[in-house]
Amino acid sequence: MILDVIECSLKAPNRIIPVEALAGNVAGSRMPQVQPSLLTRENADRACRTCPTGALALVERQGQKLLCMDYGQCIGCGRCMEVEPRAFIPADRLGCCGVSKGELARYFDFERGVEVNPNSPEIVQQQIFSMLGKALNIRQLDAGSCNGCEAEITALTNPYYDLERFGIHFVASPKHADMLLVTGPVTRNMAVAVKKTYEAVPAPKLVVAVGACGCSGGIFAASHAVVGPVDSVIPVDGYIPGCPPTPSMLLTGILEVLRRTSTKP
Amino acid sequence: MSTAPEQNALSSAVVEVARLLRGSAGRPARLVCLFGSMDATTNRPRVHYILDVPGIGYRLLQETESSNGTALVQSITSAFPAAVWYERELRDQYGVELSDHPDPRPLVLHENWPRDCHPMSAPSQSVPWVKGEYPFLKVEGDGVCEVAVGPVHAGVIEPGHFRFSVVGDNVLHLELRHFYTHKGTEKLFQGTPVTSGQMIAESVSGDNCFAHAVAYCQAVEKAQDVPVPRRAEFIRLIGLELERMMAHVADVGALSGDVAFVVPAAYCSRIKEDLLQAGSRAMGTRYWRGIAVPGGVTRDLSTSASEALCQAVEQAAADFKKMASIILDRPSVQSRFEAAGILKRSVATDLAVVGPVARSSGVDIDVRHDHPYGAYKESTIQIPSFHYGDVLARARTRIDEVAVSAKLIIDSLKSLPGGAVRETLPQGIPFEGFSAVESPRGELLYWVKGENDLLSRCYIKSPSFQNWPALPHAVAGNVIADFPLINKSFNLSYSGCDR
Repeated sequence: MILDVIECSLKAPNRIIPVEALAGNVAGSRMPQVQPSLLTRENADRACRTCPTGALALVERQGQKLLCMDYGQCIGCGRCMEVEPRAFIPADRLGCCGVSKGELARYFDFERGVEVNPNSPEIVQQQIFSMLGKALNIRQLDAGSCNGCEAEITALTNPYYDLERFGIHFVASPKHADMLLVTGPVTRNMAVAVKKTYEAVPAPKLVVAVGACGCSGGIFAASHAVVGPVDSVIPVDGYIPGCPPTPSMLLTGILEVLRRTSTKP
Repeated sequence: MSTAPEQNALSSAVVEVARLLRGSAGRPARLVCLFGSMDATTNRPRVHYILDVPGIGYRLLQETESSNGTALVQSITSAFPAAVWYERELRDQYGVELSDHPDPRPLVLHENWPRDCHPMSAPSQSVPWVKGEYPFLKVEGDGVCEVAVGPVHAGVIEPGHFRFSVVGDNVLHLELRHFYTHKGTEKLFQGTPVTSGQMIAESVSGDNCFAHAVAYCQAVEKAQDVPVPRRAEFIRLIGLELERMMAHVADVGALSGDVAFVVPAAYCSRIKEDLLQAGSRAMGTRYWRGIAVPGGVTRDLSTSASEALCQAVEQAAADFKKMASIILDRPSVQSRFEAAGILKRSVATDLAVVGPVARSSGVDIDVRHDHPYGAYKESTIQIPSFHYGDVLARARTRIDEVAVSAKLIIDSLKSLPGGAVRETLPQGIPFEGFSAVESPRGELLYWVKGENDLLSRCYIKSPSFQNWPALPHAVAGNVIADFPLINKSFNLSYSGCDR
């Protein structure tokens, strides 16, 4: 009988997570948050030396030594938080999803204990609300990912995140898509297919690079079999860091790219 | 001539491998993997064979190839087809020539790589781009058509190419063309500090990242003879079984979705998310990345976290059991699952298939049972198995394994030993060793070698690399419309295979 199925459906409680709780939420991604007031040259240096991908680095800008935290390269290994648990803490909310490549990197003056030009994008909740209800067709494209990002993208359609409530659908063909959601470092063996898929999407089109690999090459950046991050092969409109980004980061990023596109002069 | 003894030494290893695989000294051994490494003193490739010998366990045989300029190794593929992809990979990566190998085509390196480029045999350098065409096997005859699918697929799926030769709807032959996601992962390990290798291992196949991390850590611990704290071993077992539960719940849901029965598909995706969130609340990471490190785990389970995790797992197992019976009781599901994509036991044995796929074709192998490791040494587990070899058998194996995993997690959480969770590694010693775990997809083995706390070589035997060549045998004779269902019932990782 089909009654058991109907019973199950009716009895299932509503699991949906409201958008207010999702926007900007990076909990569970293992991304670090820098506490600028607790930074010293010593702990910044120790954190940089333990970072496996170079996401944390000491850089010089206009004669000034700064700590650069590039979320695009961070794989969330947690080592900085392990060696310097006061200056680097697990982040709960960050405005790092759906931003430009430049905005992925944040700079800190460890002498004065402040963030330099904190033009970090705020999570504009009201504007995100205004995006809801407009249809968007997404074609997901795996350019060589480890399938960690795919697993989280698949989770977007489960009853907690329910991407369809925003009018966002995954489509089977690039020819039906408004947006390409590209994961992975672009491998040598996928480079041609990535270009062809991009060309098959009708204009106007948006491209979002997903994950540490998509943003910067991540842990695979130095590989002989990898061409580079997504933007080394096709133009990218927004970046979603994380290894892998959580469903709430993916959702925030997709909506943020849309918001920026629609509010462009 | 000085070359003669070396050639004899080489052939003796191959002869011994063949003798064991043939089973002339008892039951036949199973080929676990075959791979290369560079010999540091001679700078020539060395070939390693790992076999699972009944009554003995894992056995490693290795030889340096001959020194007379032509790197030539006797192929074993014609007699033991399970070696086919391993040998083709060895040829691509190391330039080792295989005498009498039936398939001269490259495997891992696509047409854009020069044919004389063998990345693992030389230091990293920029590789020129070339053009070429891959010669697919041609099936000829009246009414035979080719259907080419991929590498980019319709859905949130990894890339790979499938070339079907069909007559009408019926598949005569399926040829796989994979390695689109080949990322040169094994080469990346070279020169990596031994305490950082697990970060690369976690990105080999993201949905099984914890199994990869644990397999890597175990190999290092075995090679360096590091005693792992018991509490850490139990936390690893909990993580491994949680990963298996999530993988199987998602697979069974997706199988239901593939036959257009969408309520259980949605329900199973919810159960998986419940487990992800429970795992994240306990460990701060949804897929347990960054938890396993050589020597133990980075994070302990608090009492309250264990209780919450225990409750979540009990609830998920109960919910899934109900959903599984709803799926299996449905006549429309049965008619699609039953007799679809049969993998015969003989084919599964010939191709040394592993994991749930093997156990659904009557081949009872499971690393947890056959070669117990970590906390599994202290547990007795029931390994579900079925002999029909069809989609239904693979679904039922997964359904039963979810219950076994849930019980293992709950038992372990309730009797978690006390103590520390991390041991420090010895420094500066040369090391070499391997270790296997049963990942959700089957036997996953890491072989590591290095010195001065740096890795010089890390080989990954991935269950997907082993099982992909069996898929075409299950697909032939079915209608092409059943391919997604059969493929899903194998649920193999592309990235895990391509590395």
